[in-house]
Amino acid sequence: MRFDTLVAIALVFIPFSLTSIGGGAAIVAGIQHETVAVHAWVNSREFLDLFAVSRAAPGPGMMLATVIGWKVAGWLGAFVATLALFVPSSLLCYSVFKLTNHHRDKKWHRAMREGLAPVGIGLIIAGVLSLFRLADGGVTAFVIAGLSGVILYFAPRFPVLGVLALGGLGAMLASTLSTWVSSL
Amino acid sequence: MSFGGGLSGWLYREFVLGKRWIDEEDFSSSLAISQMLPGANVVNLVICMGEQLRGPVGALTCVIGFLVGPFFAVVGLCQLFDALAGYPLLPVISDGVAFAAMGLLIIMCVHGVRRAMRFPPSIITIAVTAILVGIFRFPLIPVACVIAPVSVALAWRRI
Repeated sequence: MRFDTLVAIALVFIPFSLTSIGGGAAIVAGIQHETVAVHAWVNSREFLDLFAVSRAAPGPGMMLATVIGWKVAGWLGAFVATLALFVPSSLLCYSVFKLTNHHRDKKWHRAMREGLAPVGIGLIIAGVLSLFRLADGGVTAFVIAGLSGVILYFAPRFPVLGVLALGGLGAMLASTLSTWVSSL
Repeated sequence: MSFGGGLSGWLYREFVLGKRWIDEEDFSSSLAISQMLPGANVVNLVICMGEQLRGPVGALTCVIGFLVGPFFAVVGLCQLFDALAGYPLLPVISDGVAFAAMGLLIIMCVHGVRRAMRFPPSIITIAVTAILVGIFRFPLIPVACVIAPVSVALAWRRI
């Protein structure tokens, strides 16, 4: 029974691994369908909670598999789900980079690097924009992100974790303040 | 530990600005490739850097080192959330952390734009990509597949 569940978990996440183009966000809807509607491993309320948790980890949606695996079949389930989601895409990615890194000093490789750099930057900016939209944080979001950028830019030695902690604290204060103001 | 995407920015800080293992152009172009391939962008980026620095062993070490922490962290968080389910400030705090992480990304963008100033078409590439994907919400892959060849061709003519 346990083994069957583990196999089922692997079979659900391996295909998603190769379709998660552009990161985990692309497959969240698909994972929801499979785990809630098809396998009924979690209900939709639980799924939302798990999604919230996984947002606090690398690549929103990627760690979603880990927490679902954990909910369904404990540590082993988490382990299987994580491997199923990361191994196939990593192998593919490794072979692509292996091929291109070999030709580092050729002209086409230099052109490729220089040509792709601005595309990469553009995609990051797009990512920041859509994160702001998703988080729906209003002014607070802008202030915190701006301040964090300023601190990190002008004080390169400032620890990153310190900035992140300040961000969490700042949001907490802002929300407490706004509740207090509206209660007056 | 990273929060919702700020990780590439952190890596940028450590590898490019701090240790100077990788130059900026390499980093940004690797990031573009990482975003077009399936898998978490950051994980793909780490594979690429590991490969460049230390070959297959490097790539493997980097990925494992990279996933072990979050793996336990996320399950731990899960238990924490279960325990604190009724505490309304929790999502607020985690959002705040995510906003702070965006600061890291913004720095990367500032550096990238400053570099692109030396070659005006690059600025246009950045703007068009950001607007189509970020504002008009066009799907990332088709946009990247159309813009990337144009951008590479421009770079080719310049070299």
